[in-house]
Amino acid sequence: MKMDERLYVEIEKRYPGFHLQVRLSLRTEVMVLYGPSGAGKTQTLRAIAGLMRPDRGEIRLDGRPLFRCQGTRATVNVPPQGRRIGYVFQGYALFPHLTALENVAFGIRGRHRREEALSWLRRMRLEHVAHLYPSQLSGGQQQRVAIARTLAAGPAALLLDEPFSALDLDAKRRLQEELRQLQRELSLPVLYVTHSLEDAFAVGERIAVITEGRVQQVGALAEVVARPANRRVASVFGLPNVIRARVRCLSPEGLLLDWDGRELLAAPRSLPAGAWVFAHIRPEEVRFIYPDRPLSAAVRHNRLRVQVLEQRLGPDFRLVRVLTQEPPWAELEVRSPPSTYMDLGIAPGSQLEVAVRPAGIVVLETAEEAAEEGGG
Amino acid sequence: MLAALLVSLKVVGVATLVIAVFGTLLALLLARGRFPGRTLLELLLTLPLVLPPTVVGFFLLYLLGRGSPLREWLGLDLLFTWQGAAVAASLVGLPLMLQSARAAIAAVDPELEDAARTLGRSEPEVLLRVTLPLAHRGILAGLFLGTARALGEFGATLMVAGNIPGRTRTLPMVVYDAALSGDLATAAQVSLLLSGIAFLALAITRRLEQPSRR
Repeated sequence: MKMDERLYVEIEKRYPGFHLQVRLSLRTEVMVLYGPSGAGKTQTLRAIAGLMRPDRGEIRLDGRPLFRCQGTRATVNVPPQGRRIGYVFQGYALFPHLTALENVAFGIRGRHRREEALSWLRRMRLEHVAHLYPSQLSGGQQQRVAIARTLAAGPAALLLDEPFSALDLDAKRRLQEELRQLQRELSLPVLYVTHSLEDAFAVGERIAVITEGRVQQVGALAEVVARPANRRVASVFGLPNVIRARVRCLSPEGLLLDWDGRELLAAPRSLPAGAWVFAHIRPEEVRFIYPDRPLSAAVRHNRLRVQVLEQRLGPDFRLVRVLTQEPPWAELEVRSPPSTYMDLGIAPGSQLEVAVRPAGIVVLETAEEAAEEGGG
Repeated sequence: MLAALLVSLKVVGVATLVIAVFGTLLALLLARGRFPGRTLLELLLTLPLVLPPTVVGFFLLYLLGRGSPLREWLGLDLLFTWQGAAVAASLVGLPLMLQSARAAIAAVDPELEDAARTLGRSEPEVLLRVTLPLAHRGILAGLFLGTARALGEFGATLMVAGNIPGRTRTLPMVVYDAALSGDLATAAQVSLLLSGIAFLALAITRRLEQPSRR
């Protein structure tokens, strides 16, 4: 066990046609559990909370086992009531027959239930709706009551299932900020389920990407997004420019790839000649070449003649989709700051040349690794 | 007639209690329990709704009569007593309660019960503070229907408890006796009384089954 580990999860559960296999380790942090719907995010939360019993595995919170089953019978299986795991449900799950105050007081024990519940409501700026029923509250208020109710019960870890997906942007940003504050103050390990990358960046420090029941990659958010470990992670992020190519050889300058008859020099990585790989051409590493300027050393490699298909300008990016005018006749995405290439006069139909430095082409995984993953 | 009213009140009072307690427990079992034979149990409990009351009464004669565990082990002889009539009335009223209560409990979102569990509440507390309060309208509606049915019970009661004036003669039997003996005034009075009560029970049920304002 690592020193700063708070929540440890290693579970397995078989459903007809679906196999959940999750391993996670949380510190005092907000970890984002990110993946497409049906990937097993909610089932993972339910298992941690004790609402779903895994076939085997182990769950520990602050060193205390909540679930342990290595053979066929569980040796430890603490019921949800005794786990001290706070769970904020996707649909909030507020009790419709209780007022906001009664909802928050629901999980509090002892003589000062009412006072404690009131102070939580005040804390979430909800004291003015204490007497209202959930159906009389706005979406953001309902969500804040749900969070207050969960925290009021004094959990040692917090699980949130797509907590802010139904809220408007303004309410969402405010609540995300409040959540981060609460997490720091209460020193909680928080597992935050979402399928929105924007949400992930707004609250999270680390991310665990889950697809088809398996955690594919865990790491710092920016790191994982910039360098997906494999094709699955890349495709969940909707990464453009993922290509399939074959290894020619490892040269001193980098890894030489054969992309359907076109040579590409990629970032060095030791791989056998002839191996099939998936590689990611990072869109911000694709540069347009000015035809009338001398070439710098950076654009010596990987030059391709392209035709512009489409251009989109955002507040902080310029995005150009191009089609290579030579084999393999593939589409690529080029991303740059909006102020670049002003005098190139980029428009649909423009014939240009692009270059990518080798460090901008990253091998995600070999095709064998991909096949193994798919088969296993 | 006053004696019959008292007998009816005793019978219905006990039947209401039995229907409330057993009906709620059985409805919970049928709505939330997962066990083999659940559908069979539900069908058996619903059977009195469609069986001729005399058939229910006939079965009860065996269940309560000579050789039954109730009589042999506990020395309880319920045949031809008002308590026996209460058993018959309960059994006939129970299916109506079950239908309504089971549906109401099944309609409670299980996620609310899960939320209560993660908030540290024990299973009995989950039941008493979440499930039953949220299903209370359907449970009450079923209870009113079942009670109304118990009050009108005739066939099974006649088989099990007979028609002993002052002891087991209930209001529906007064109507039967009066009509047969030509005392149409009494038959009409009691019929109107029973109709009024039944109408009231239905109206309350209807009210309860409408969605709440919240």
